[in-house]
Amino acid sequence: MSSLSLSGVSKRYGDAVALSDVSLTVEDGEFFTLVGPSGCGKTTTLRTIAGFETPTEGTVAFGGEAMGTTPPEERSVGVVFQQYALFPHLSVGENIAYGLQFTDHPDPDARVGELLDLVGLDGFRDREPGELSGGQQQRVALARALAPEPDVLLLDEPMSALDARLRQRLRREVRAIQRDLGVTTVYVTHDQAEALAVSDRVAVFSDGKLEQVGTPQAVYRNPETRFVAEFVGENNVFEGEIRDGEFSIGDERVPVDAPDGPATVCLRPDSLSVGAGEYALTGTVTDAEFLGSSVRVALAWENRELTVQTETVPAVGDRLTVAFDHTDLVVVG
Amino acid sequence: MFYYPVGSVLAEAVTDGGVTLAPIRGVLADDFYTGALADAIRSPASIPAGLAGWLLASASDIASALAGLVGTLVSPFETGLRSWPGAVLAGVGGVLGALAGVVPGFGLFGFTAWQALLSTVASLALGLPGAYVLARFEFPGRRTLESLTAVPFVLPSIMVAVGFVAAFGVNGPLNRALAALGLPTVELLFSLEIIIIAHAFYNAPLVTRIVAAAWESVDARAVETARSLGASPARAFRDVVVPQLLPAVATGALLTFIFTFMSFPIVLALGGLEYATVEVWLYNRVGQLDIQEAAVLAVLETVVSLGLTYAYLRYEAATSRGDRVSSPLDRDPLVRFDAKRVALAGYGVVVAGVFLLPIVSMLAASVTSPEGLTLRYYRFLLERGAEATSAQVSPTLAVRNSLLFGAGTLLLAVPMGVLLALASTREGRLARAVGVLSMAPFAVSGVVVGLGLLQTLVFGTTVLGHRIVVGGPLAIVAAHAVGAYPFVVRNVAPLLAGLDRRLVESARALGATRNRALLDIELPLVAPGIAAGAAFAFAISIGEFDSTVLLASASGSDTSLYTMPVAVERFLGKQTLGRPTAMGSVLLAVTAGAFIVIDRVGGRYRE
Repeated sequence: MSSLSLSGVSKRYGDAVALSDVSLTVEDGEFFTLVGPSGCGKTTTLRTIAGFETPTEGTVAFGGEAMGTTPPEERSVGVVFQQYALFPHLSVGENIAYGLQFTDHPDPDARVGELLDLVGLDGFRDREPGELSGGQQQRVALARALAPEPDVLLLDEPMSALDARLRQRLRREVRAIQRDLGVTTVYVTHDQAEALAVSDRVAVFSDGKLEQVGTPQAVYRNPETRFVAEFVGENNVFEGEIRDGEFSIGDERVPVDAPDGPATVCLRPDSLSVGAGEYALTGTVTDAEFLGSSVRVALAWENRELTVQTETVPAVGDRLTVAFDHTDLVVVG
Repeated sequence: MFYYPVGSVLAEAVTDGGVTLAPIRGVLADDFYTGALADAIRSPASIPAGLAGWLLASASDIASALAGLVGTLVSPFETGLRSWPGAVLAGVGGVLGALAGVVPGFGLFGFTAWQALLSTVASLALGLPGAYVLARFEFPGRRTLESLTAVPFVLPSIMVAVGFVAAFGVNGPLNRALAALGLPTVELLFSLEIIIIAHAFYNAPLVTRIVAAAWESVDARAVETARSLGASPARAFRDVVVPQLLPAVATGALLTFIFTFMSFPIVLALGGLEYATVEVWLYNRVGQLDIQEAAVLAVLETVVSLGLTYAYLRYEAATSRGDRVSSPLDRDPLVRFDAKRVALAGYGVVVAGVFLLPIVSMLAASVTSPEGLTLRYYRFLLERGAEATSAQVSPTLAVRNSLLFGAGTLLLAVPMGVLLALASTREGRLARAVGVLSMAPFAVSGVVVGLGLLQTLVFGTTVLGHRIVVGGPLAIVAAHAVGAYPFVVRNVAPLLAGLDRRLVESARALGATRNRALLDIELPLVAPGIAAGAAFAFAISIGEFDSTVLLASASGSDTSLYTMPVAVERFLGKQTLGRPTAMGSVLLAVTAGAFIVIDRVGGRYRE
């Protein structure tokens, strides 16, 4: 039973198109991530689900029931925003209890205690939000959103205001809590690595359009559009034509498993490495970034730049030959 | 409540049996109102010749007066050290006189604009050094001084006028000090100068406040960048700081011009009909029951002030930047000895003279009689209060009326202001229109509002076949509320606009309806603004004179609706200064009470 579905949802502000014809389905208990660069429509999608925006066209349905113009307070949603949006004039406990007054929960006090325990903030009940660190405030925001037991939890870039290490820790905690409670969750982020790391499935947005929906592995390994190929992970994209079952890269003719005709193919930097392989490309090093476990090298090759991966740091200006196998080549689409 | 009465005044101006522009043309082409321009309006072709002649004639007058002043300034020893200050004063007066002399009579409107212009220049001259001191120096009491710049706004103008009479009158402390130093005394009362100084009293703090705020928001890093690129301190000031201050200076100047253009009690009390502005003449016309001419004046005045206010709002919208600067310029300690600080000390003396002297003089005059210290004026207030006939001004009744009208104003203005603030912070074109319209009372003078209310509610009006006559007290409360609610809007709207909309969205996602979120989240968070707005509204009501004097004296000699400011003005006509200063002191005490509430509430919020 699908918990949440969007069909043909568009949102226009005057002439500006924020969302165009978005359809997707989120399964019960799923951790579903909307990812894309800023301005791609992912936040508009989330706000439309919450009921803060009304779609110009299309429908949003909760458990098969079309929402129409149902206001947010009558949808069973919990929302966590990037800037926490804790009520500054209420204590931590009062913040968490706020939503409970609109439910028929028999013991709100005990429920607040449970949630404080869940997010690891026992003893913070009487604190003011202003006294807490960013990470603690974010936990309170999460507890507040979960308190009324919403059908759908909506997280709008909830970690982007935190530093990298804290973000990673909190992300794992949120994921663990979500798994525990089994609450259907829609998560918005611009960070594709984060999306790949936490999600059951991801939806990649670009320019108000849905580019691809799938598991992290599927989206990473089999991008359906050039945008997804370049946005999710790093990629070297080649436009060209498949003739007689072969695609030309430089002087190499590589066999591919796709019908003849115009095609876009891509090669991940980690499959372009120094060493043995069926095919080889030689270029000039223009830049090298040492990343710790590997080196990201920019290679000038046939009037364009390729990103390749090496183990040792080459000197800028060196000629470098990298190799790949035909199985590394992915046809987009 | 606001638009209908004011609209009726406007309608009166263009109806004479049918709709016509004749009354307006009549005023515009009248020498009395527009002076030299009246000729131009009658025969536009004569403009160029007249203008050229005037320019030639005036240039030489000003030049000779300026030369005289420069001569005096550079030769203190020639004139003798002792009489030098007097000579300088005379020289400054000569230049002002020459300037005033060359302004061709542009009639009542010309004079009104001219005094507003001079007042604006004086307010800038008095206010800008204050902004410099507040923004660039650190000293004990700086924050207090900063919050004191809000005080003149809530000081009843008629009380300030009394203070000026007490301070600068023939026997006032200024002249006594001059006499003690062996200098010639000055006759300032009923002159243009005293009106301009009193206007500066009101508006210089406004200039100080606006410009200091802009100065404090100058990012030190921008100045440091300019310095690192090779600019000298003076050059960095000119290139980086000044451009950021100019909008604030322009805003302060424009507001000052608008306020002084419509100024009423100060001109009435300190200038009399000899120095009447449009507003004073308008009041006089109403007194003579010449309603149509008054209405025409009201229309013309309102057109000018609304135009200026619109310009101001456009300008404000174009230049406002909400973000706080992370690194403001460092402040220097003020207490140290160098030339700059000696000059600032001199400025401090002038400030004390303009701001403290009138208040202190008023308090002093209220407890001094020719025989020495006395409380008899206060006793008079109480006794007269107990036994006043209906034709006599009862001080205690005036106090009671003021408090009652103040309370009524609160009940009306606060909900109105909050609702308008809410409407103006919603998105969309309608909201912006509401925002501009809710500021309109700033631009319409109290006398016009009073006239409108008089004409509609008090004299009676017919709505849907029912004759509606609203009693004087309600009309006064309505007039006060009209003057007061923009202050509520101004205090509440910025706080509302500053609230993260996600707070409301969070509440709604948690199950609260829109109205519930307003009640639970928005209103508690803007409560300090509402309280400050309420205190302002109360203080405005207590001090309101312009419309009150019209409405309260509408019923002839009946004084039962007089408020404290009206009582002050009535007492001012009498021989002695004791009664008006005593009444003024009571008014000051009540206003100070309201202001303390403002500062307590506002001060807590400012942190």
